[in-house]
Amino acid sequence: MKKGKLGYLFIAPATLHLLVFAIFPMAFSVFLSFYKWNLLTSERTFLGLANYAYAFGDPQFWNAMWNSTKYALLSVPLGMAAGLLVAILVNQKLKGVTIFRTLYYIPAISSGVAISILWIYVYLPETGLINSVLGLLHINNKTDFLKNESMAMYALVFMSIWVGLGPRMVLFLSGLIGIPPSLYEAAELDGAGKLRSFWNVTLPMLAPTTFFVMVTSTIGALQVFTPVYIMTQGGPNETTDMVGYHIYVEAWSKFLIGIASAKSFVLLAAIVAISIFQFRILKNQLEGYSTT
Amino acid sequence: MRSVVVFAVGLAVLLCGCKGATGTGPVVLHLSNWGGASDDPEFSRKITALYRQFERENPGIKVEIESVPDEYVQKMILSFVADAAPDVMSLDASSAGVFVNNGVLMDLAPFAKGDHGFRVSDFWPNVMAIDSRDQAIYAIPGDFTPLVLYYNKKLFDNAHVPYPGGHWTFDDFLQTAKKLTLKDKDGKVTQYGFNFPNWMPGWIVWLWNSGGDVLNPDGKSAGGALDSDKNVQAVTFLRDLVNVHKVAPNLSQTQSRGVDPFGNGETAMEISGHWEMSGFKTAPRLKMSDVGVTEVPTMLPQSKTVMYEVGFAIPKNARHPAEAWKLIKYLTGHGFQQTYQTTGIAVCARRDVATERAKAPREQLFLNIVPTARGPWGAQVVGYDFVEQEGKKMMERVLAGADPKQALTQTAQRIDSYFKVR
Repeated sequence: MKKGKLGYLFIAPATLHLLVFAIFPMAFSVFLSFYKWNLLTSERTFLGLANYAYAFGDPQFWNAMWNSTKYALLSVPLGMAAGLLVAILVNQKLKGVTIFRTLYYIPAISSGVAISILWIYVYLPETGLINSVLGLLHINNKTDFLKNESMAMYALVFMSIWVGLGPRMVLFLSGLIGIPPSLYEAAELDGAGKLRSFWNVTLPMLAPTTFFVMVTSTIGALQVFTPVYIMTQGGPNETTDMVGYHIYVEAWSKFLIGIASAKSFVLLAAIVAISIFQFRILKNQLEGYSTT
Repeated sequence: MRSVVVFAVGLAVLLCGCKGATGTGPVVLHLSNWGGASDDPEFSRKITALYRQFERENPGIKVEIESVPDEYVQKMILSFVADAAPDVMSLDASSAGVFVNNGVLMDLAPFAKGDHGFRVSDFWPNVMAIDSRDQAIYAIPGDFTPLVLYYNKKLFDNAHVPYPGGHWTFDDFLQTAKKLTLKDKDGKVTQYGFNFPNWMPGWIVWLWNSGGDVLNPDGKSAGGALDSDKNVQAVTFLRDLVNVHKVAPNLSQTQSRGVDPFGNGETAMEISGHWEMSGFKTAPRLKMSDVGVTEVPTMLPQSKTVMYEVGFAIPKNARHPAEAWKLIKYLTGHGFQQTYQTTGIAVCARRDVATERAKAPREQLFLNIVPTARGPWGAQVVGYDFVEQEGKKMMERVLAGADPKQALTQTAQRIDSYFKVR
């Protein structure tokens, strides 16, 4: 066997997996998005772009898109700030710091369903962790976070910060470790304090990491499904009906497979557009970047 | 290079999960259901023995159980798309409409007629009707349960309240629930009269018993039915049980307990199905002898209830319909059902087994209710799952303070705009 061909063998499983579970289903969804078909009947009607037109005119779809936008706008910056903060904390030369690094990462390797169920208990009005702690501080509102229209979204955002902490921390940590100490020494010689060197050395040097974390977090936030499915089912009063869950309901409760497919491509287009936008604004910062 | 091919083919077979080609070997019947692992190994052993017995009685047929504990309907739909549907499919009445109305199930009436060992008359007629359309039968019922009102006799005795029995109105019920809601000296509720989970398959009986319904009789629209004055009355009544009279805990309180409050002896009444019995048996704070069963309160001359049923169906393009029918006949037969129903999870759809099991007076009460019970809308309508989700949201809004009439109208409009594009 030639060397070149052996390489294909190594990538075969991953490629096959990609083809079977990603590329083919996506192509099939394109096909579905042009039809009215509930999958079970033999007849299917070609609708052209009517499913897309329906999606654009559906106020509930836009409500879900707006909720997802709100969720992303809140959870991404807050999640990144928390991730960076924790990364800086665990980047200190402290005893047992690896234990903390591990602890912060645990939520990321736990099942999303299990975490969501856990957080239902955290948010309960009478016996929940948060209300119990607030009770100790003599705040006895007993807020029912997940059933309160003005609180449910924030409850999901707050949880997402906790869940996403580990992966973001690891990424920022690797970025922090990559910053040459000589830069800090130079800054110190120039009389820069801690805050100054964070602002003028750490942040600019972390730009590529920040960019990566931002893009992936945004995509993740726009696709959020499990917590909505388990904790709120889009409620109360559709204030947490986010687009991933909305599409799921269209497909599997209402059996509007074509409309659900069309909506998922609208979401795809939105995600691509946002990612391109993020690339544009950070382009300048990334160009001058070099650690060598 | 050969290794590459072998590897790729092997992987492809693994990924496709292809069913092997049918050869001369035994016919393997795949029977799908939504059961997970049973927590009663003794029962599982008995049931497995019954399947083996079927295989002995029918040489050349093997039975394999396909358990799909989650997202059953979705997975079944996909199995039809992939032409990998099971040979015998357990069909839940709540979602039977999806499969029956889309024409993916075989009409079993010709099998039933041509088989001397099978009698349609062995089954409760209105249970058999759930998955039937005119003369066509799309599933043979295994078991079912009407929803009933459970009450805790001990809590009634403690409060010196007579047991409910027979016909009673919403107001009778409210007065009873008030007497059974107890507070300590700080005004904290220690016991609720009723448990109200926001579960539409359960609370639909309140709409029916006020004279209302979810959909119009043809099942094609909700406007004019769901937002009727009778439903407004029923929904207002339910809201007031929780918000005004406070005879039932609010939804989060119920959820936060994590246990069935009735089974835990904390509420005096609840509306549910026969499946609760298997939980009551092991509930530490509820004696089986304290469990009372009666009909749902009503504003009508006679109480109505809903019944949820499980039947067995054969997909239309089944590979082994004759063998599959044999299995269905066995599964719904006297011998299998006699053992199967010992869990107490449901009422047998066969009248003989149901009657044998109704020696206990409490069981007889279930049977008395059967003639007044009706199958769920989900057996008739595609996408009723969505209707129930909207109903749940509607109730949530009402409990949070929305006007019942407005909430019902808005929900009816949403359901109708869905039915239009469906």
